[in-house]
Amino acid sequence: MKKSIVAIAMALMATQSVNAETFRWAGKTDPQTMDPHAVNSAPVIGFLNNVYEGLMRRDRDMRIEGALATRWEPIGAKGWRFFLREGVKFQDGSDFTADDVVFSYERATKPQSDVSSWFATVTDVKKVDDFTVDFYTSAPNPIFPDTITNFMIMDQGWSEANNAATPAKETENYATRNANGTGAFKVVERQPDLKTVLEPHTGWWGEVEHNITRAEYTPIQNPATAVAALLSGEVDMVNPVPTQDVSRLSNSADVKVLEGIEARVIMFGFANQAETLKYTADAGKPNPFRDPRVRKAVNHAINVDAIVQTIMRGSAQPVSQLVSSTMRGYSTSLAARPEYNLDKARSLLAEAGYADGFSFGLKCPNNRYINDEAVCQAAVGMLAQIGLKAELEAMPVSNYWSELRANNFDMYLLGWSPGSFDAEHPIRFLVTTPNPEKKLGSWNFGAFSNARVDELLPQIQSEIDDTKRQAMLDESAKILQDEAGYVPMYVQALLWGARKKVELVQRADNFFILRWVTVK
Amino acid sequence: MFSFLVRRFLQAGLVLLIVGFVAFSMFNFVGDPIDNMLGQEASQADIERLRSVLGLDQPFVVQYWKFLINALDGNFGISYRQGRPVAEIIAERAPATLELAAVSGLFAITGGIVLGIFTAIRREGFLANFIMTVSLIGVSLPTFLIGILLIYLFSVELDWLPSFGRGEVVDIGGWSTGFLTASGLKALILPSITLGLFQMTLIMRLVRSEMLEVLRQDYIRFARARGLSERAINFRHALKNTLVPVITVTGLQLGSIIAFAIITETVFQWPGVGLLFINAVQFVDIPVMAAYLILISVMFVAINLLVDVLYVAIDPRLRS
Repeated sequence: MKKSIVAIAMALMATQSVNAETFRWAGKTDPQTMDPHAVNSAPVIGFLNNVYEGLMRRDRDMRIEGALATRWEPIGAKGWRFFLREGVKFQDGSDFTADDVVFSYERATKPQSDVSSWFATVTDVKKVDDFTVDFYTSAPNPIFPDTITNFMIMDQGWSEANNAATPAKETENYATRNANGTGAFKVVERQPDLKTVLEPHTGWWGEVEHNITRAEYTPIQNPATAVAALLSGEVDMVNPVPTQDVSRLSNSADVKVLEGIEARVIMFGFANQAETLKYTADAGKPNPFRDPRVRKAVNHAINVDAIVQTIMRGSAQPVSQLVSSTMRGYSTSLAARPEYNLDKARSLLAEAGYADGFSFGLKCPNNRYINDEAVCQAAVGMLAQIGLKAELEAMPVSNYWSELRANNFDMYLLGWSPGSFDAEHPIRFLVTTPNPEKKLGSWNFGAFSNARVDELLPQIQSEIDDTKRQAMLDESAKILQDEAGYVPMYVQALLWGARKKVELVQRADNFFILRWVTVK
Repeated sequence: MFSFLVRRFLQAGLVLLIVGFVAFSMFNFVGDPIDNMLGQEASQADIERLRSVLGLDQPFVVQYWKFLINALDGNFGISYRQGRPVAEIIAERAPATLELAAVSGLFAITGGIVLGIFTAIRREGFLANFIMTVSLIGVSLPTFLIGILLIYLFSVELDWLPSFGRGEVVDIGGWSTGFLTASGLKALILPSITLGLFQMTLIMRLVRSEMLEVLRQDYIRFARARGLSERAINFRHALKNTLVPVITVTGLQLGSIIAFAIITETVFQWPGVGLLFINAVQFVDIPVMAAYLILISVMFVAINLLVDVLYVAIDPRLRS
């Protein structure tokens, strides 16, 4: 009898220790593919950072460090040379060489690829020897290594043998549900929408810091269910935690909330160019938002601190420009937001000839950003204080972008996360005059246009000297602030929940990196 | 009889065509799938390329026609989100929904009949009145709230049952079942109660009122006069006569259990076709939405057709 009790107790302890090492985590959406070149979205790229690796990677503080390349240097002004790490094995055991890099570049620039914009300036890629690769660019490109940290290297032999040499977008191929990277974890089971199981890649080149033997990812789309699963210990980590659950989770004995600042800046944009207003009783009247004074008045009338405190419950950070302070190229000299000052706003409106205000249409998504609709509702109230009567129309994000592309707005809400973590990124997509041929300003819906910014962008993109580059970035940011082309409000917070026994790192790009996880 | 069947089948076909047409005309308002399929750095050329590859640049009537032609071939297209054939995905997800529907249907029927009889026989009892009052909650509380309450009570506070998912499943010839593992059975409990609670209270109230009605009939009084036991009266005579309308309603409700599993599946992250549909709506995955709606309407049309045929078989007056 005693023996059996001891045996049972030991068996229980054994299962418990197994549980401690099987790490389970949940997110809101399932990464829709395991192909690192097919979909350029944070859930996919973030997940696959555990399985595949790029030439470079980002460390805990978003700084760039070597991964599959040990070092890299500019080839004069012509491009970049990457020196590859030797002795790296893919998860199927084959060797990593320069051929895989060239192959991955070709794969990632095919029309079916969703990541080809990273290589817009690349003219040619050449293998120098087995462990040296040159990327030639049409102009000097100082931030090229930053741009391609998420460019993940696939094995040429594996991809070709499995007919996956081209990314699949409308259909699937072998690489959609299978993976063969060089990363610290390999995919051992993939059931789309149900679960994805990872196990450590035993032949990984790096130094192992985690103590995970098996990791299971499950999408749980209802936030309340995800929080319940965390509280009951069925999952060890969830991302995101709804803002209203933060205080309750923080008070729990077994659970902690990790809060950080994300890269995404939430802002208002305007119809900068439209001749007339499109909505409300004032539709058809001349568009007041063409006047920078009116846009500046909006900037002074929005009480960002109040929005952050009440609607975001403190989980956000006011911001003065299109990137947050942790991004490269942030303008420290412009750190202060235009003050909240209704008198100033009213006098600016009076100067522009709108002392009595006007009414207009405000477009807003209702399921894209944290509390997006509530923020817009608050803004409607704040703008009413200076006589601007906004008529709010909130809609799901699947309808939102096509509405903005069709120019159906007077003012709108937008969030932007710079993919390259550099201040050049929002200038390229949001601030320069739209030019589809040059792939510029593709998200500049209001068609904000400033000749000086347009002139500065190519110089910023090719300036090697950091000081000169920063000066030009500062100048662009200053112009945008003076013209109030956008009204940047705050940076969203990252809210993760985890069991207290889990040690993990919350990186600013919202990527969850398994190799930094330890379970006590 | 034959011409009646032919007529009914033609009508059923017409209903399906109309459902498909209405569905496709609505997809224009659900949003644009392209933005969900491409990253934020995609160029206008990428957008247009994908739009024409998917045939989204064509008017919805043309899209509908193409869908119909392919559907007649048994080809429901390729999911925009997963890139896999829709028929394959639905076949993979159907067992989860059907098992959940079966268990919650069983729960609703047995629970509803037992409680219905009890509250009818013990009409004045405290417990019966208590059950009647509580059943109001089942009728009036929204499903997602019941689900969340159950999760907080049984998963978070008591730690007895899982809060999400199906547990471990066993695959038998392409049918994944949760009936064969302990964790699979445990995972079924909360979602089944959530999904079946409304139907259960409905059946319970129906049984109770029918039973009260029957107990007032003359033949019950005569049975009492003959000295039959209370048990025989209640269960052999009264209950049997109660069940006719109950069976009709139950049959019709079975369809809605499957169709309305969407909310329960979302709350419990239950990997069935309802959750698939919700994901498809959010992503604007038109092939999946279309196939799901057609499937659900086929099911309802089939149930109604069956009921019609049964009526004709039972009632000779309808045959002329």
